[in-house]
Amino acid sequence: MKFYARRIAFYVVTLWATISLNFLLPRLLPGDPADILLAKMQRAGGELTETTVRNIKALLGGDSSSMWEQYVAYWGRMLQGDLGVSVTKYPTPVTELIAAALPWTVILVGLATVISFVLGVGIGAWVGWRRGTWVDHLVPFTTVLQSIPYFWLALVLVAIFSVALGVFPIFGGYDVWAFPDGPEWSWEFIGSAIYHGFLPALTIVLSSVGGWLLGMRNMMVSTVSEDYIVTAEAKGLKPMRILRTYATRNAAIPSIAGFSISLGFVVAGSIVMEQVFTYPGIGKLMIQSVQNSDYALMQGVFLVITVAVLAANFIMDIVYGFIDPRARHNV
Amino acid sequence: MIRNAKRRAALIAVAGTAILGIGLSGCAGGGGDDSGDSEGRTLRVWAGSQTPIEANFNPFSPSVLHAALGPIYEPLFFYNKTADEAPAPMLGESFEYNEGGTVITVKLKDGVKWNDGEDFTADDAAFTFNYEPNHRDGLVSAEATDDTTVVLTYETPQFTNEFQILGTTWMLPEHIWSEVEDYTTFTDEEPVGTGPYVVDKVTDASYTVVANDEFRDEGVPAIKKVQYIGIDANQSAQDLLTAGELDWTGMFVPNPDSVTSNGVISMLNTPQDPTVLYTCSNADLGCTGPQTDVAVRQALNVAIDRGTIKEKAFVGLTGDISPTFALLPRDQKWVADPANEVSPQSPDSAAAGEILEAAGYAKGGDGFYAKDGAPLELSLVSVDGWTDYNDAAKLISEQAAEAGIKVNASTVQWQEFSDARQTGQYQLIMGGVIGTSVADPFQIYKDWFIGESTSQVGQEVPAGRWNFSRYDNAIVNEAVAAAAATNDEAVKQEAYAAVQAEIVRDLPYIPLVINATQTFFNTKDFTGWPTEDDLYAFPPAWGSVASGYVLQHLEPVK
Repeated sequence: MKFYARRIAFYVVTLWATISLNFLLPRLLPGDPADILLAKMQRAGGELTETTVRNIKALLGGDSSSMWEQYVAYWGRMLQGDLGVSVTKYPTPVTELIAAALPWTVILVGLATVISFVLGVGIGAWVGWRRGTWVDHLVPFTTVLQSIPYFWLALVLVAIFSVALGVFPIFGGYDVWAFPDGPEWSWEFIGSAIYHGFLPALTIVLSSVGGWLLGMRNMMVSTVSEDYIVTAEAKGLKPMRILRTYATRNAAIPSIAGFSISLGFVVAGSIVMEQVFTYPGIGKLMIQSVQNSDYALMQGVFLVITVAVLAANFIMDIVYGFIDPRARHNV
Repeated sequence: MIRNAKRRAALIAVAGTAILGIGLSGCAGGGGDDSGDSEGRTLRVWAGSQTPIEANFNPFSPSVLHAALGPIYEPLFFYNKTADEAPAPMLGESFEYNEGGTVITVKLKDGVKWNDGEDFTADDAAFTFNYEPNHRDGLVSAEATDDTTVVLTYETPQFTNEFQILGTTWMLPEHIWSEVEDYTTFTDEEPVGTGPYVVDKVTDASYTVVANDEFRDEGVPAIKKVQYIGIDANQSAQDLLTAGELDWTGMFVPNPDSVTSNGVISMLNTPQDPTVLYTCSNADLGCTGPQTDVAVRQALNVAIDRGTIKEKAFVGLTGDISPTFALLPRDQKWVADPANEVSPQSPDSAAAGEILEAAGYAKGGDGFYAKDGAPLELSLVSVDGWTDYNDAAKLISEQAAEAGIKVNASTVQWQEFSDARQTGQYQLIMGGVIGTSVADPFQIYKDWFIGESTSQVGQEVPAGRWNFSRYDNAIVNEAVAAAAATNDEAVKQEAYAAVQAEIVRDLPYIPLVINATQTFFNTKDFTGWPTEDDLYAFPPAWGSVASGYVLQHLEPVK
């Protein structure tokens, strides 16, 4: 029991620290949202009347109260579930923006991460099993895919499949022309959402499968040389049974630990993917908030991400303590 | 065997999902087109919105959606910023100034209704001009003298503010806005305006407006439904145009032929906003560096190869700039000296050398000029990622070197650029000047050149003013004040001649090009767009007021 209490206390302190950092970091960034907005409107060629300038300065001007007062007020609001009002989408509450974006990111990036993991570990196990044969060529091939700049891979896929061949859509989370009234619960809509999610998911899978594959393959190679595998072979077990029941299970343990961490990062979305595909997710909120010095939105997004990562870590810790008694005694 | 069977099953599942998706989406797309056929197709527009879209049609909000400004809310008159012509009536019928320019009497159209069915009256107009965020400094009163007349009285002459007062003040229904508690947080999700469209639906990804049944002109608008979408990447918009899935936008595309070659989309280029080199020119206000010497600015001005900059950095799409900052040919009548119609397009290093030598500079062994042992070396910054500006800065650096002037081009983050120009702590910056919305360079002279529009180095320039060069010249200040107080064209021309003589010589901003404004629209399915020959409005989809005006002229191709 002491183990769990200690772990929980640790996470509470970490949570406090991250939330405080979350308060501090955006304030260390340079920039005044009002100036940024004005200059943007100017560059876009909009009409800038004195009235507009005055209004924007009045709406978005800096906060003059002291850092400590802001910090206390920040905690007060946080405990009430109020993350403030976004400047970029003034005056929409941050919680509303995040609530609208989160499901898209979690489903798409989550599924893509799972698919990438299953493929990577599956193929990695097979490649490790058949080490030294032609299948080893899969390793450099997938790592090359991973090293291609992500946005470039996405743009190439769009250029080929969407523009040249016209088989996939160019942008969006669903067909905005066919569903001008927004998301609805119908098979057509779900079909449209799957169809629109395919290319974004493909780019994530293509660019991340290499890492899983390489890690799994190398673990597999070292596992296969373990004594208990030799024993299993000597006892005449079928090779398939050795592969699935003995080698893969043991080799996959480090990958599973890594997987739980990467699940935590799913909520961070995939910034570049969401930007290239105009996909309605969290990553895009993050980039917009940083570009516009939108402190409230930035804090909201960072908070969701850090909490998700901490939660994933926490669950992993608990699970590890449960499956591996050594973890419980060593701390 | 088992392994193979599983893999095959997985493959089939993946393929099946993909095919299912394509099939379903195909059906959905077809359905959308069918429903549009009865009253013509929906016009699909990208006006620059980014996702997620949040319903906000409050014209005072910085995050207002584009459709509010023109398609829904309207000002009294429409000013075509692409031509020198009288304003067109919108909600106003006619207006006149008193002799001193302090009183404007506006006749309103009769029988106009708000889209909720209420009458638009002079009381609404008077309410609008008195409404807090619209209240201009010096407004004495705004009164409705009868149902269709509103009289605006000011303390000072308002001749040069005509466009701001009559062309950008959105008319508000008193019965709605008098109930609004705080206009800064009001999101106005069901806007009541007089324009040709009303809001139908707003989602995260797009919003739709439909024809206003109460609109004053019979049969207008002919396009019954307009859908504005949110796109985050310019490349997506370009791809959608190429694929014929987008009908109207205004955005920069360096190779427009790739978009227009499908025979559906046409491009119209209307250069509007000057691109210049800001120079921190005024040593009296604290500027430092060689560019505070007028000879250096003049030498740079003739050393620059504008033709090459236009071709290489701006892919040939920009317009030629006049050092008077009048937009030609629109503002032709305001250019006093025909010699100042256009800045030199090809470089003249010899002339640059002569100017510098006359000012006491001497060429050193390294090929660069120096004065009193101090080398002539300038720093030029541009914002990282504004690639056209970055390229132009590099070209300027090379061209200046030919003439013996060392210009070190570098890129900075946006914030650094903003701080530098606001506080005057820079030597040269690649920057923009806001073009005027009426056929008159007055706004540029007032906001960018007079002493009142600037401040000491180290302090920000006054809000809404843009004199980043710290230029302060008594002759210019007086002439601008004189021009503001008159409606007499001859007097104004005289004042502008004085301004132009000073700024063309002093070059506080070294003119480079007029930036391109590209508009892409679908001419296969829709007619009535502005054209090269009939440029009745500024064409891009994001144009405030103008976009609503263009929508009234569009018709589906039968």
